[in-house]
Amino acid sequence: MAGNFWQSSHSQQWILDRQDLIRERQYDLQVLSEDEYQKIFIFFANVIQVLGEQLKLRQQVIATATVYFKRFYARNSLKNIDPLLLAPTCILLASKVEEFGVISNSRLITICQSVIKSKFSYAYTQEFPYRTNHVLECEFYLLENLDCCLIVYQPYRPLLQLVQDMGQEEQLLTLSWRIVNDSLRTDVCLLYPPYQIAIACLQIACVILQKDSMKTWFAELNVDLEKVQEIVRAIVNLYELWKDWKEKDEIQMLLSKIPKPKPAPQR
Amino acid sequence: MQKYEKLEKIGEGTYGTVFKGRNRETMEIVALKRVRLDEDDEGVPSSALREICLLKELKHKNIVRLYDVLHSDKKLTLVFEHCDQDLKKYFDSLNGEIDMAVCRSFMLQLLRGLAFCHSHNVLHRDLKPQNLLINKNGELKLADFGLARAFGIPVKCYSAEVVTLWYRPPDVLFGAKLYTTSIDMWSAGCIFAELADAGRPLFPGSDVLDQLMKIFRVLGTPTEETWPGVTHLADYVALPSFPPITSWSQIVPRLNSKGRDLLQKLLVCRPNQRISAEQAMQHPYFTESSSNH
Repeated sequence: MAGNFWQSSHSQQWILDRQDLIRERQYDLQVLSEDEYQKIFIFFANVIQVLGEQLKLRQQVIATATVYFKRFYARNSLKNIDPLLLAPTCILLASKVEEFGVISNSRLITICQSVIKSKFSYAYTQEFPYRTNHVLECEFYLLENLDCCLIVYQPYRPLLQLVQDMGQEEQLLTLSWRIVNDSLRTDVCLLYPPYQIAIACLQIACVILQKDSMKTWFAELNVDLEKVQEIVRAIVNLYELWKDWKEKDEIQMLLSKIPKPKPAPQR
Repeated sequence: MQKYEKLEKIGEGTYGTVFKGRNRETMEIVALKRVRLDEDDEGVPSSALREICLLKELKHKNIVRLYDVLHSDKKLTLVFEHCDQDLKKYFDSLNGEIDMAVCRSFMLQLLRGLAFCHSHNVLHRDLKPQNLLINKNGELKLADFGLARAFGIPVKCYSAEVVTLWYRPPDVLFGAKLYTTSIDMWSAGCIFAELADAGRPLFPGSDVLDQLMKIFRVLGTPTEETWPGVTHLADYVALPSFPPITSWSQIVPRLNSKGRDLLQKLLVCRPNQRISAEQAMQHPYFTESSSNH
């Protein structure tokens, strides 16, 4: 469904205020620094990405799952639900909503078990602890916390349109598309409408590819350039953070700091 | 569920049972759709999810409102605005006669609801009188967005009752997999004829072949000339070559000439030649004075 964004639940209920977002995170930020908090979300965005790729989902579905994940924790502490359980639950819900067809729950669990073992053993030394009943229960909880707003608008479609308008080639689209994917590791999907994110990603891509000639094209866009600059900064900050981060060495320590739900699931 | 008192059962939906309910605080009557979660390990059925997420976005007076989604362990209940009856029950109460002003009003409201859906790129895909709700004020609302799924339209619903073919366009009957808004426009045409004939279905086929025959006996059998590509559709079968009927006044005797013109623009075999909901709303049938039928 690609109707009118401005009338959508995404626009009306889920473009959040930065101050609200910070306030909602206060509990978690007592035990985690802001950088640590973001690193945890980068890690889980990667988990969702890898799970989605293993399940052969389209990028749109993966992006929607990631946004669900971020929306949930925009209203909840990490201790309310273990992110390792919420990540596959978001995948399950997104695949149904995006009409990908149904992923069976047992297949999802099997993929989780194998992915945790093969790709994320540096983070988890134990087996994936959850079973179908946990995911199903979690799905309800997720649905409720999203207030049933399940249609998410992504920057991909406006991006395609913009690149076409520019009359630009494949290289620029490929790069800016990847930057949109990266932007899911920041808070911009919670704070800005997707077309602004698309413009910001395109702008970063133009800078990287040294397409100075496009400056006038950007200047003529009817868009709040200040907002676009805020998005650009958020994404550039992500790259700064990423550069010095050794996920493999540090993630176990970070995950152990996450406030834990009680009681733990039975193994 | 404390908020609502469950009253009598109203019906059986695509993915669960529908009850009448009452809000304990406001005493407002609602429809409670109980979603079954047993079956397999899919979790919340995608049909229910589809309905939830679409209705969350589609707020229009000709589309049924979803007020609330409640969950208690293992059960999900969707709370809808309650309407007194559906169009099928309304037809049953008519005794074979309908006021043509009512027919026109219902048709216009159906088109308004559809135009809104289509402007949001939402296809209903299963329009039929049972899915059109009517309240005391004569308002018509599109309901049951649950049946439509991603890959193909199912032929059986939860209770294993066969989904009716009567409102399916020939392209879908021939196995076309690419659905566009035209699918709903065909169904709207069938419903229009049924409205104008006080509830007698236009093409009450008993199976796919019979359904196609009933359609072609009226509209004529399509050929590669009248519908390029028809013979390449997945389930195409060559059928006897019927000529189109010459006079629509036999089919819908009470419908005036402008109404018949609109009907013929909806009931076109070749999908991309069917009129859109937006265009249909502008048709002269709706602008002429009401005494003129």
